[in-house]
Amino acid sequence: MKKNAQKVIQKKLPREVYSALKNVVGEQWIHESRAVVETYSKLSIEGGSFVKKHEKDPHVLPACVVLPESTDDVQAIVKICNRYSVPFIPFTNGQVFCNPTTTDPTLIIHFSRMNRIIRIDTQNMSATLEPYVDYAQLQAEAMKRGLWNGGTPLATTVCKMASQFAFAGLWQTDLKYGLLNRNIVSVKMVLPDGEILTTGSRCMPRAGDFWEYGPGPDLMGLQRSGLGTNGIVTEITVKLHAWVGDEALPEVPGGRPSLTHVHDAKYDSPPEPLKNHKLLWVEFEDLDTQLKAMREIAHSGVGIGLNATGVYSAFYCSQTQEMTIQRCKEHFFPDWNCYVILANTTSDRQIPYEETVVRQIIDEVGGIFLSEDYKPEVLKALQPWNYDCIRHSHGYRMNRKFYANAWLPVGPLEEAKTTSREWKKALDMFGEIDITDRGGADDTPFVYALQRGHFCLFETDNYPDPVLPEEIKKAQGYGIYGAAVVTKYDLGPQLMAFVNVEPFTTMFPEAGPNAHLFMRKLRKVFDPNSVAAPGRQVFTEEEWQQFPDEIKTAVNKMRELNDMPAVR
Amino acid sequence: MTYYEPKPHKKFFEKTLEDYRDSIWGCARCNWCQNHWGWNVKSAEYSEICPAFHEFRIFPYAGMGKMHIARALLEGDFDYEDAPEVAKFLYTCTTCGACELNCQRLQDKEPLQVNETLRAQFVKDGIGPMPEHKGLIKSVKNYDNPWMQPRTQRDRWARKIAIKDIDKEPAETLFFVGCTVAFDNTQWHVAQNTASILMRAGVDLGMLGKKEVCCGSPVARIGDRETFFDLARRNIDMLNKTGVKEIVTFCPGCFKALSHDYAEIPDVPKLEATVYHSAQYFDRLITQGKLSFPCPVNKRVTWHDPCHMGRHCGVYDEPRRVLDAIPGIDLVEMERIKDQAWCCGGGGGVRTAFMDFAQKTAVKRIEEAKKTGAEAIVTSCPFCEQNIGDALNATGDEMGLFDLTDLMVKAMDKGEG
Repeated sequence: MKKNAQKVIQKKLPREVYSALKNVVGEQWIHESRAVVETYSKLSIEGGSFVKKHEKDPHVLPACVVLPESTDDVQAIVKICNRYSVPFIPFTNGQVFCNPTTTDPTLIIHFSRMNRIIRIDTQNMSATLEPYVDYAQLQAEAMKRGLWNGGTPLATTVCKMASQFAFAGLWQTDLKYGLLNRNIVSVKMVLPDGEILTTGSRCMPRAGDFWEYGPGPDLMGLQRSGLGTNGIVTEITVKLHAWVGDEALPEVPGGRPSLTHVHDAKYDSPPEPLKNHKLLWVEFEDLDTQLKAMREIAHSGVGIGLNATGVYSAFYCSQTQEMTIQRCKEHFFPDWNCYVILANTTSDRQIPYEETVVRQIIDEVGGIFLSEDYKPEVLKALQPWNYDCIRHSHGYRMNRKFYANAWLPVGPLEEAKTTSREWKKALDMFGEIDITDRGGADDTPFVYALQRGHFCLFETDNYPDPVLPEEIKKAQGYGIYGAAVVTKYDLGPQLMAFVNVEPFTTMFPEAGPNAHLFMRKLRKVFDPNSVAAPGRQVFTEEEWQQFPDEIKTAVNKMRELNDMPAVR
Repeated sequence: MTYYEPKPHKKFFEKTLEDYRDSIWGCARCNWCQNHWGWNVKSAEYSEICPAFHEFRIFPYAGMGKMHIARALLEGDFDYEDAPEVAKFLYTCTTCGACELNCQRLQDKEPLQVNETLRAQFVKDGIGPMPEHKGLIKSVKNYDNPWMQPRTQRDRWARKIAIKDIDKEPAETLFFVGCTVAFDNTQWHVAQNTASILMRAGVDLGMLGKKEVCCGSPVARIGDRETFFDLARRNIDMLNKTGVKEIVTFCPGCFKALSHDYAEIPDVPKLEATVYHSAQYFDRLITQGKLSFPCPVNKRVTWHDPCHMGRHCGVYDEPRRVLDAIPGIDLVEMERIKDQAWCCGGGGGVRTAFMDFAQKTAVKRIEEAKKTGAEAIVTSCPFCEQNIGDALNATGDEMGLFDLTDLMVKAMDKGEG
């Protein structure tokens, strides 16, 4: 251990606040130990929290962690925070946007005790969940009943469905089922002032929980992508869909790993997709052909999923880092490609028919299917996707580091070209952090065709070494540059796709003229005492004035590089 | 040391926390240290894999939390006086390895190794192990076993069995009995069964008897590496001198220590013999036609994978094949099995220091077993049998508990049901 190192100690809550919280949850479920708060302070994909650790910045440490058991507990906690002006942050796993945002002692409200599936309504095909329920849990229970939620994010257990409500909820099968945000029936929320809001038909006592609208204006729209600043979800009802696969995912024939044998590909290689599902992998000679094929396939109406993955296959489908790097260098996986997920959702003849359609399209557009006759070794290496396309277990293998920066623009399919071109420009300008950064520049970005191809999400990332703060800052620089790019080309809302977060909201007013002023109004309405992670989604004028000049300067620099005027 | 910088090869027991620096910093909070591998999840109820996180619900108890705590301690962000309870978080862990297996599979990081290395640091710095462990260490040093039992009693279980004393007569195969089975008379039957099955199958078997000393696994797990190294050297010397080619042990802790841990200690000779868990050996004997089961044992059972045998050392299929070879046995599987098996709660020093938690963990395993419709749990580990057995007694549960050898002996002699 480092001797004589500078310590980093958190601020404490005032004792009367601690006592009040303890009275709500009980002594067992409130913690302010230095060791405990440490584990809530360095996040998953937020480079800023890593930089703050390197800089020994105490503001990344919360003061206290409290674990409620029910909506009533959450409401009581939020009211205490209002009474004593204590900022709070709702916390499930700590992926991103869960750090304190002010220098005040901050309370973490951790939902690990609220992990029940409250009900699965098989008649009306919905499930009501507490905030800590994740995708694997819901899928497992629903699949036993011939249903499922419609998709998997890349990280089946990292992503709790209620947390994803704070974003958009991206799935492998968004082509057919849409984003999570299109699959929500209702939410129950504790608003920042402690009021309880229930949305949709559920809020009418005898109407039932079946429709996301009404009565009155659609308040769900004001809550989606709110990053927990407009309220805390304590119950969420999601739509379920017919599931035509097995009740549980079959055992991989290769067996189970052990600590002495963990990296063998045989454990990760289901030879076939799930029952009533099929994956088709297609290689193209360039991005234009890939995008043309994807557009045709999306618009044809076939398939439940349509995505393209470049470097990500090198992460997810490689059992060691050496394999990942080697495959990147060799361009082992097709640079330009797409994979189509087909399913017999209506009949046994659906897959054969839809496959015919896909093959016809590829015949017309150009492209080669991976098969036993063409790159069988590549097709074999892609086998993890056979299960991952439905329940992604490898998707958080982010180059075995953490991904400090992601570009996640959204837009029409052709904008993938813009993304690739700008990413390449950024790499040429700033230099790569890792060879895997070339993903999305020398090959396709990750492309998700969403909602029958009406629009798509594109992803490129870089992964700095977590022990090198200069690399992390460089990765963050990419992020800021990316925000400028997406704004310049109108590539959908900001950096993190469907989410607005400071300082980008204020520094990129082009994204929605005066959107930040509108959100300031919302914040006054929902959060009059400014306790719900203040400064997360929108800065008040006062918070903006206090924001570090160096970051404003950095953002303006990136704006300048993209021929955009500085923001004062 | 940065991520891609080639790292000098070091054995596990010579590593310090600094050797895990990039791993510790790079924890991705993916949750696989707490959760059942996604492809194998069959229900929400059995979707978690970390007993400590499942019980206490805060992150310091999970593999991820230990990585974060280790980082902060390594970098001096806080020290022991700022968080006196920090050792408790590290020691409330059965070292089942579920966190490390899933983490290795996905991210190539080592939360269990970090935990054990941090425990060793705590012992070195005087804040570990837990007060309750000190008696265990003293017993191992004074009596060569963790049970405060005199050495002269070590072979009492074998009084009615004609097994060679390897000091007096050479043998091909050594039965390394282990301390728990030797000194816990409720488990003597396991040692007796194992020896008699092996000898009936024609194995030329010997044992060390009173000369056997603790394998060192209990002290290794709680971080007293100095005592562990001493025991390892003594055992390697003694075992190599016997000239045996094979060592069979029933205890997964001994099995892991002899077959894997000793090789990770710097500057000790190699243990020459090949080490087997008894389930592996039985499986081999069955395949060779040297062991058969003429009498049916009509029972529906479920197999509990001991962590140090299964997840740590990869012995999953052999005991299942043995059960399959017994006529009348209907094996039904729990949801969390093999690499994703739920720990019994008995390992890592937890039973000694946190008995409540150990028992709660066992109760959860029993409930999971009952859901299969099985009449009995079968396993092959003295700690699992103690902890699950105590939980069954405490709750008055009628679920049966058998050692693998109990069913084998029944099937060899008179059958059941």
